[in-house]
Amino acid sequence: MSTVNVDSKEARAAARARKKADKIRDQHANDLPRSMQPSALVKTVTVVVLVAALIYFLFPIYWAIIASTKTPSEMTGSNGLWFAVGITDLPGAIAKNYSTLLGWTRGQFWRWVLNSLIYSGVSALIGTLVAVMAGYATAKFNFRGKNIAIGVIMGCMLMPAALLTIPQYSIFHAVHLTNTMLSIIIPCCVSPFGFFLGRVYAQTSVPNELLEAARIDGASEARIFFTIVLRILAPAMVTIFLFLFVATWNNFLLPLMMVSSDTLKPVTLGLYGMVSLATFTDRGALMMGALLGVLPVIVLFLGLQRYWQAGLAAGAVKG
Amino acid sequence: MVSFNKRLMAGLAAVAALSMGLAGCGSQSNTGTSEGDSSDGGVVNITYMHRLPDNDGMVLVNDIVAKWNKEHPDIQVKATKFDGKASEMIKKLETDVKSGEAPDLAQVGYAELPEVFTKGMLQDVTQYAEQYKNDFASGPYSLVQVDGKAYGLPQDTGPLVYFYNKAEFEKLGITEVPQSASDFIAAAKKAAAAGKYIMSYQPDEAGNMISGLAGASGGWYKVKDNAWVVNTETDGSKAVADFYQQLLDAKAVTTNPRWDPTFDASIKNGELIGTVAAAWEAPLFMTSSGGTGSGEWQVAQLGDWFGNAGKTGPDGGSAVAVLKNSKHPKEAMEFLDWFNTQISDLVSQGLVPAATTEDAKTPDDWSTFFGGQDIMSEFKTANNNMGDFTYMPGFSAVAAKMNETAAKASDGSGKVADIFSEAQTTSVDTLKNLGLSVAE
Amino acid sequence: MTATTQPAKTGVAKRAAKPKRSDAARRENRTGWAFMAPFAILFALVFILPIVWAIYSSFFRQVTVGGGAYGGGELVNKFVGLQNFQYVITSGAFWAGVGRVVIYTLIQVPIMIIAALALAMLVDSYIVKHITAFRLGYFLPYAIPGVVASIIWVYLYNGQISPIVKGLAALGIKVNFFADNVVLGSMANITTWTFTGYNMLIFLAALQAIPHDLYEAARIDGANGFQIAMKIKLPNVRAAALLAMLLSIVGTIQLFNEPQVMTISDPSISKSYTPMMMALNTSQGTLTPGGDGPASAVAIVMALIAGVLAVAYTLVERKVNAE
Repeated sequence: MSTVNVDSKEARAAARARKKADKIRDQHANDLPRSMQPSALVKTVTVVVLVAALIYFLFPIYWAIIASTKTPSEMTGSNGLWFAVGITDLPGAIAKNYSTLLGWTRGQFWRWVLNSLIYSGVSALIGTLVAVMAGYATAKFNFRGKNIAIGVIMGCMLMPAALLTIPQYSIFHAVHLTNTMLSIIIPCCVSPFGFFLGRVYAQTSVPNELLEAARIDGASEARIFFTIVLRILAPAMVTIFLFLFVATWNNFLLPLMMVSSDTLKPVTLGLYGMVSLATFTDRGALMMGALLGVLPVIVLFLGLQRYWQAGLAAGAVKG
Repeated sequence: MVSFNKRLMAGLAAVAALSMGLAGCGSQSNTGTSEGDSSDGGVVNITYMHRLPDNDGMVLVNDIVAKWNKEHPDIQVKATKFDGKASEMIKKLETDVKSGEAPDLAQVGYAELPEVFTKGMLQDVTQYAEQYKNDFASGPYSLVQVDGKAYGLPQDTGPLVYFYNKAEFEKLGITEVPQSASDFIAAAKKAAAAGKYIMSYQPDEAGNMISGLAGASGGWYKVKDNAWVVNTETDGSKAVADFYQQLLDAKAVTTNPRWDPTFDASIKNGELIGTVAAAWEAPLFMTSSGGTGSGEWQVAQLGDWFGNAGKTGPDGGSAVAVLKNSKHPKEAMEFLDWFNTQISDLVSQGLVPAATTEDAKTPDDWSTFFGGQDIMSEFKTANNNMGDFTYMPGFSAVAAKMNETAAKASDGSGKVADIFSEAQTTSVDTLKNLGLSVAE
Repeated sequence: MTATTQPAKTGVAKRAAKPKRSDAARRENRTGWAFMAPFAILFALVFILPIVWAIYSSFFRQVTVGGGAYGGGELVNKFVGLQNFQYVITSGAFWAGVGRVVIYTLIQVPIMIIAALALAMLVDSYIVKHITAFRLGYFLPYAIPGVVASIIWVYLYNGQISPIVKGLAALGIKVNFFADNVVLGSMANITTWTFTGYNMLIFLAALQAIPHDLYEAARIDGANGFQIAMKIKLPNVRAAALLAMLLSIVGTIQLFNEPQVMTISDPSISKSYTPMMMALNTSQGTLTPGGDGPASAVAIVMALIAGVLAVAYTLVERKVNAE
């Protein structure tokens, strides 16, 4: 992103600013508050609370994992806490539900997972970038109509998004974009919430002094944004990205209306199809589909870990 | 007004197109199908939207269609499955019809057909339907008609029958299914004393099942001089209310909602040993039971429990209708007649076909579960015993209200009879809100 | 949007009557809009246009005019003025739904936000190692599609199936998660389960953005961990907390998935249980009057109520802030 035109003056200025930010961040990375030695009691209480919360959040998922190996009658007729079959029969039970899942999705399950990844990944990427840009613009610049823009976006957040699906469908129909990937990606990459997160974080963690310093060094606005601001806002962007990614991943109403080709469906549509057909009772297979669908989100979450640490440059200039 | 609306949409579209251009993400990955242009070099293209289960082990709709496409190179059909609820599918099709891009054929439940017609989504295909009339049972065929005109062909039916576990009945000393209401209630009390239930009260199915049971002895909706005569509190309705109220009061009936896992559990643990059910529920009972009572279950016709004099009523079942924009209704109907008469394939999807072109055979695993009985022929008998029940446009709102009211009766905060009085007011309101006339 | 704004700007700047804007201000205006533009364009397409459409259609009703018992097989849009709004405002079912979501919001949102904040502070306190495991564990429910999450909980609430209910019953505690006065709480639990982890992540992002030299200074002053949390961390995540609160309020007012799925086990939950359910069911014709017109009116009235609540919240928050 930053190595396109190394010769220019602003590139050098940006590089300097970035180096400075990196240095400060490195200093702080090892700077854990060691002197804050908690007492044994505090430590025990903390661990107990955190573990209890972990059990609350993970127990239903544990249940779902167990359930994903069961047939409809085992779901209601066996111990909910453990597999209904012996360990040796488990692969067979898993294979059975897996084949139900594939059968239900007409062999397209992994294709649909791939579609979901494309929809969620692309719209989250675009959505995060435009949201942070807009948030930064309203936090750090004065421009005509700024307050109106903020007010309108804020106001639209109150409108139930699900109800906008029908008019969105009509509009996309009119421009012949229904039943295309864009018909899902475009609506999903706009998030008033993402905008507000971007704005709040830009307000609180991008120091004006840092921007001024970069400007005095002759860096262009675009370069300041892409090399300095984006790095500072990394944790906020990770949050927005995850939000958009999961929101798109879980959305079923929009794809339900927008696409009809089997090859364009996201995986949630298959899951929703199971749920919405009252006669479908194979909920074990449904759980398996949902759990397989969570895997990419886990991978993504773990992959984004290191960006969480990147936000320490916030106090760069002050410090 | 319609044209003004269209102009507004066009205006919005123009603005939208402009913004698209500015955003610079115009026309890549435009993989849309060309539904608008359905004829291509002498080949007629037909699109068909359904929401059949297409579950593991069934003959998939796409495979059935592939057979047709192979034999008919000049009429190529593309089936798409809608992965949502019936009400959502109607909503999507409604929008599609308005913009002129709806599929040629779509699955529509009998209860929703008048509503879909009123919404302006159907095409009159009477001239093509006549020649296929004899391929289908007359009852279902008439349910695809509105005002004497045909809009498609029937696919499957849902006559109400009685499922029961014969061996369990005998254990309780009930040698045969009681035929009168009082005998039945006495038997139900006897069973309940032993912790068994020979009837289920399903609040979430009230709109379909209770209306069907009440309808066995006479319809609710009649047309007189172009106005609707609504009476949901018929003698049949009163008999149904009385029957279930007595059972509920005596706690001699299960109250698990049909699509709640507890219903499955009640079959699995052997507590529920008899219930009214739609014919298409047979394979569902088999999966829910997990083998409990396999070989012991039987299918019987409804007794004379609701003043129904041997008649039964409809619960579910669907037609496939020709939608308004279809440019090739003749070819669509030709395919449809073929598709809806693929009896064994449709049976594999769990349907009781409406076609009479050949005898639907009871699949082997069904007859194993139902003690070797030829249950398909029982369903056929029920089909021929079906009372006339006309649905009104907007019935889905009535059914929704009935379910909600039925739930109140199951926990004691309401009465079963309330279902029918609520149905009356909701029916009249719905018709009036649609701008239709109601004879009071 | 930008296309129209830019020329207008230069026009204004050229006018002699007004004080000439400085080059810097003009540049700032331009830069601001340049950063704003991509979002603004997408936003107009995805939100503004559909909302204009919704407002427009709220003045119409879909009725038959063809006569006959079936209305001739054509629905037309009939202009009805404010009749749809009148219907919504006089509908007891609508206000009952509003009442439910308001109670729901008052109970659920504070619990969730406080829980999320507490967890974020504990995770950020460095008292416990391996925080990744906790962070991921708390976040995971958010990744389960809402409908599936509700189905999981419907099982876990179910008296005849759930290991929880059975376990409690074995201990002599009888609970019915579907009882009339409990069912709203059961729904609130599903929402809390799903969104607490995500809100925790928002707080964590805010906590991570606090400059560490602040902690340093506090420690030199002899503050302990708890004091640092209260005096430094809490004020610094205030903005994020208020935002999360506001968004949760907006989110719960649109409550839909949980009651919709719980209808499976409790059919007495009506089609108009929440305003959002009422809007969607009206649009799909399972409530009467049906169609896009009345549905849009439900959505608009609901958005206005949400707006009033949001403004009230902001005002109260400002007042509290000022004191």
